Amino acid sequence: MNLGDPAIRVEGLVKHYRRTVALDGLDFQVPSGAITGFLGPNGAGKTTTFRSLLGLTRPDSGRIQVLDHEIPRGLNLVTKKVGAIIEEPGLIRALSGTVNLQVAADQLGFGHERIKELLEFVELEDDATRKVGEYSKGMRQRLALAAALIGDPDLLLLDEPLDGLDPAGQRAFRARLRDIADEGQTVVVSSHDLADIEALADYVVVIDRGKLVTQGPLEEMLAGAATRVVVADPGAARATLAAAGMEVRDDGETLVVEEVDGSRIVKVLAGAGIYPSEVSPARSTLESVFLGITGESGA
Amino acid sequence: MSLLHAEYLKLSRRRLYLVMVLILAALVGLLAMAFLVFPQVAPEAAAEGGLPIIDKPAAYLFGAQQVAGQTWFPLILAVVMLGSEFGSTVWATALSRDSRRIPQITARFVVLAVAAWLAVTLGIAGWAAITAIAASGEGGLTVTDWLGLVWKVGLIELAWTAIGLGAVAMLRSVGPAIGAALAFYFVDSLVILWRPYQNISLSAATTAMFQVEIPGEFGEIFGGSSLALWHAVIIMLAWTALGFFLTWWGLHRRDA
Repeated sequence: MNLGDPAIRVEGLVKHYRRTVALDGLDFQVPSGAITGFLGPNGAGKTTTFRSLLGLTRPDSGRIQVLDHEIPRGLNLVTKKVGAIIEEPGLIRALSGTVNLQVAADQLGFGHERIKELLEFVELEDDATRKVGEYSKGMRQRLALAAALIGDPDLLLLDEPLDGLDPAGQRAFRARLRDIADEGQTVVVSSHDLADIEALADYVVVIDRGKLVTQGPLEEMLAGAATRVVVADPGAARATLAAAGMEVRDDGETLVVEEVDGSRIVKVLAGAGIYPSEVSPARSTLESVFLGITGESGA
Repeated sequence: MSLLHAEYLKLSRRRLYLVMVLILAALVGLLAMAFLVFPQVAPEAAAEGGLPIIDKPAAYLFGAQQVAGQTWFPLILAVVMLGSEFGSTVWATALSRDSRRIPQITARFVVLAVAAWLAVTLGIAGWAAITAIAASGEGGLTVTDWLGLVWKVGLIELAWTAIGLGAVAMLRSVGPAIGAALAFYFVDSLVILWRPYQNISLSAATTAMFQVEIPGEFGEIFGGSSLALWHAVIIMLAWTALGFFLTWWGLHRRDA
C-alpha cells in the first residue's frame, strides 16, 4: 500500500524517570492513513512515548510533531483530532456504556450524534445500557475504542489494545482497526506481541531500551534478504550456488538462498544447466526479523 | 456547557450522591430530634443535659448553621468523585487528558459545589419544616434572610469542595485523600479553641457565616464564632482559592 506523509514525527526524544532512562534519543515517523505497529519488549519505552505524544508526560528533550503541530505547544490544536487508549480502557465502571460515551463526547466538546453508530461499530448496541463494570475485558476494550473514536479523530493511539483479549476478541478488534484505517485514519498500535503486529500493521516501528531499532513498511521488512528456489535436484543446485559464493540452506523441498537478486540466482543455475521451477522472495516472520535485529531471545 | 454536562452525568448516574444525601438527611433528622423535639417532649431532661430550648425564629438559623456545618458532605463528595477517576485509567485516556486545564477543573468545582449546595439546601428545608411544626415560639425568617442563606451555603460548599478536590489532587488516591480531608475537618474545628487560629479557620468561618448566638454551654460548641461576617467571607474565599490552586497544581504536576 502507499503510505502517506508522516502523521507523527519524533526526533531525539529523551525522558528520564529519576535514574531510569525511559527514552534515549528516540527517533521515528508514523505514516498517515495506515496502521503502524509500535513494537518493543516490555520496558522498551512504548507507553512513555505514547504519553509524550499526548502531552501526558513532559520529555526532557527532543521534538514531537503530531498532525503537523509541535507537542506540547500545539496540544490544544490536536487534542480533538487524536483518540487514545493508554494502558487500559479509560472508562467509568459505575456508568453504562452509553453514558461513558456521552461523558467522552462532552469532555472533548463533541455532540452525542455518533454514539449509536459507534456502539454498533464496536458491536455493543445490545449492552449499551449495562454498567461497564459488568463488561468483559474485550467489551471494555471495544467501548474504549468507541470512546476514542467519538470525535472522528485523524489519529488513533492505542497502547497494547489486544492485551488480555481472547483470540475471537483479538480478531474482532483487529477487524475494527482495519475498517478505521480503510477510512483513511491513522492508527498506531503498540504491542510487545510480534504476531499481533504482523497480523495487523502496514508499517512497523521497533524500539528497544528507549531507542529506535528499525522502522519501515511491514512488507519490506518481511520480504527479507533471501530468495526461495524450487529445483528438481536441490543437491546439485546447492553446490552450484555455494560455488558462486552464495549462502544456501534447505527449507523442506526448497532452497533458501541469502541473495535478493533472483535473476543472478537463475543465471548461475542456468549456467550449470539447472533450471528452477520457481524463484520467489523468501518471506520472513516478524519474529525472525526482530530477533535478527535485536539479537534477543524473545520480545 | 458540555464540560458541565459531563460532570453532571458522572455525578447523577451514580448512587453515591443519593446515598450521601440520605445519610445527610438522617443526620439532620437526628439533630432536629435532639435540639427541637427532645427539649419540647422532655424539657427537664433536656435542661439537665444542658440542651438549650431554641425558639423560633432563631431555630431556623441555628438549623441552617448545623446543616451547613456538615462539611464532610462536600469534602467526601469531591474526594470520591475526582479520586475515582485517579483510581482508574480514565485520567490518562483521551477522555480526560485535558482534565488538568482550568475549564475542566472549574466544571468539576461548579457541579460538585452545586450538588453539595443542593443537598444542604434540602437539609435546611427539612429542618425548617420540622422547626415550623415542633419548635416553640413565633415568627420566621424574612425573604432576605432566606436569600442570605442561599449564598452563604453556596460559599461554604464551594470552599469545602475546593479543599476536597485539592486533597485528592495532591494525594492522588481516594483513601489517603479522605483521611487527609477528614483530618483537616477535625483538626481545623478543634484548633479554633486557640483564639488566634480562628482568624483563618475554615470551620470558624463556616460557623460565623450564620452569626447565630446560642445560649449556654452548647453555644460554646455550636454557636457562632466571634468573627464578623465580612471576615468569614474573606476566609471562605481564601480557602476556596487555595483549594482551587492545589487542585490545579496537583493535576498539573501529575505524570509530568
